[in-house]
Amino acid sequence: MAVTGRAATVRGLMLADAWRSFRTAIGLGWAVESNWSDPFLFSIYTLVKPLAAALILVVMFQVITGGSNPEFLQFLIVGSALWNVVFGVMAGLVQSILEDRERYRMIKYVVVTPPSLFPFLLGRSLARVAISFVAVVLTLAVGVVFLGVDLQVNLLYLVPATVLGVLAVMALGIFMAGWCLQLRQEAWSYPEAIAGALYLVSGAIFPIDILPTFIQPIAYIMPTTWWLEASRRGLLGHGTPGVIGGVPDGLVMLFLLISTAVAVPLALAAFAWFMRRARQAGLLDMVTGS
Amino acid sequence: MSSYHALAKTPREAAEWSTGRLIRVNMRAIVGRAYPRIIGLTREPSWIFFEILLPFLAVSAFVFVYRALEAPEEFIGFVVLGGAMTAFWLNVVWMMAAQFYWEKDQGNLELYFSAPMHLMSILAGMAIGGLVMTSSRALAVIGIGSILFGVSYDIQQPWLLAGVFFLTMIPLYGMGMLFASLFLMWGREGFHLAQLLQEPIYFLGGVNFPIRAIMPVAALAIAVLPLAVGLDAMRQLVFPNSDPEEVLAPMLPVNVEIVILAVMGVVFLVAARLALGYLERLARREGRLTLRWQ
Repeated sequence: MAVTGRAATVRGLMLADAWRSFRTAIGLGWAVESNWSDPFLFSIYTLVKPLAAALILVVMFQVITGGSNPEFLQFLIVGSALWNVVFGVMAGLVQSILEDRERYRMIKYVVVTPPSLFPFLLGRSLARVAISFVAVVLTLAVGVVFLGVDLQVNLLYLVPATVLGVLAVMALGIFMAGWCLQLRQEAWSYPEAIAGALYLVSGAIFPIDILPTFIQPIAYIMPTTWWLEASRRGLLGHGTPGVIGGVPDGLVMLFLLISTAVAVPLALAAFAWFMRRARQAGLLDMVTGS
Repeated sequence: MSSYHALAKTPREAAEWSTGRLIRVNMRAIVGRAYPRIIGLTREPSWIFFEILLPFLAVSAFVFVYRALEAPEEFIGFVVLGGAMTAFWLNVVWMMAAQFYWEKDQGNLELYFSAPMHLMSILAGMAIGGLVMTSSRALAVIGIGSILFGVSYDIQQPWLLAGVFFLTMIPLYGMGMLFASLFLMWGREGFHLAQLLQEPIYFLGGVNFPIRAIMPVAALAIAVLPLAVGLDAMRQLVFPNSDPEEVLAPMLPVNVEIVILAVMGVVFLVAARLALGYLERLARREGRLTLRWQ
């Protein structure tokens, strides 16, 4: 049965209720994400995948350059490491919503609780976000220890860039989660497809000047492009080898701020609309057999 | 009630099937399990879109990396061919290895175990259906990639190439059959293993670079990974002019790799059959066969 109307305002509902829902969802998210598996095995599964992704790029680099142009190697390692966050956040938010609707069939019960879905969704996806940050640290550590990546961390630049970047990526994830609520089986593939497309246009592993010219404007409006660029400057002390590397630091941060400031309210508004539509169309308890 | 039951005088007599009947039932199981995958080629257009798009996005990213590094054009062809083979690997991991676990979640697995056919027939049906379905996706990746990135091929022995491709598919899907049993046994941890079988295998299989580039590890990969052997053999037949002195050189001659693939095919299929028998006994004994989410 579809949930057709918005629940009446619950008297006494406070931030504390949302916090409790968020906190509980974190624990649940971790249990589901780690799949109640052996912690040692789980850490191996979690860490080997991002390392292998980075190693593919390192071997490609070595085969072609023979180790010359270390700046490009640093560019590759940092881009590959940070991309774990984009994929982790997007996949975390979308898969939380799909798993709870399709597999565990709990989403309708969460929606009718006083704090509703949003704090639950954020908490439920946090485990995957945390795991993705572990992957970032590990990949960078391997880069520094074994591949000669020279980190020159500028915290004054890196911290605001990370905060803004993660907000922007979460906004994209929230938008995707709402969107996927409207879809059928193919929804499982959306985070991978969208993250894959963003991977191409954001200059994660190659400078965006290499892209065909008609795609480059898309790259310049994506917050992920500016987040990666700002993070590289905060971690390495210099930008990417391409044209974007010539943009002054302040301007990079400004572009990141503007693109995030646009993305966050748009994503929240879109999520609210998607939720309203899902209630009206009976999509919250829809099982597509996927 | 079927005519077989009507004619039998005792339950034991009804259960005694002729070899011909056994073969017919198992063939029907193979066709029945392959059917949804083949017919699904046209029934779910969104799958076609995603199954072509996802490998193609990855191919494009690696092509652009090589372009940024000003690599010789042969590397672009290597990546496109590797991307097409990735589609088969993804099919093996997600639609062979993980399939029994999902069937358990959906309540189909106990039906498979209780139906009067061998589980290998179900796996063979999955493999044939998956092979047909994925071939269309792989061809699309090669076609689009070749046109967009201007890859040219020099195929002098097309029949040998086709033979090597099919010979690669046998151990590849045999490996999927083996993993199907193992994933079912490992339960929820199988999902993590499926994740683990992606990027690490792309690395070890030399999907995006000539496998010789990871030389000490490459020897091990060639010994155990059908993807690595098949890809190296196919690259030799598709890009025959690679300089034998350089990194683009193959690991082993094609005829040696054909022998390795043939041996792997036998080993994986036998191992899959043994694992399936062991798993069935274990699952029945521990009673985990029909427990969802375990």
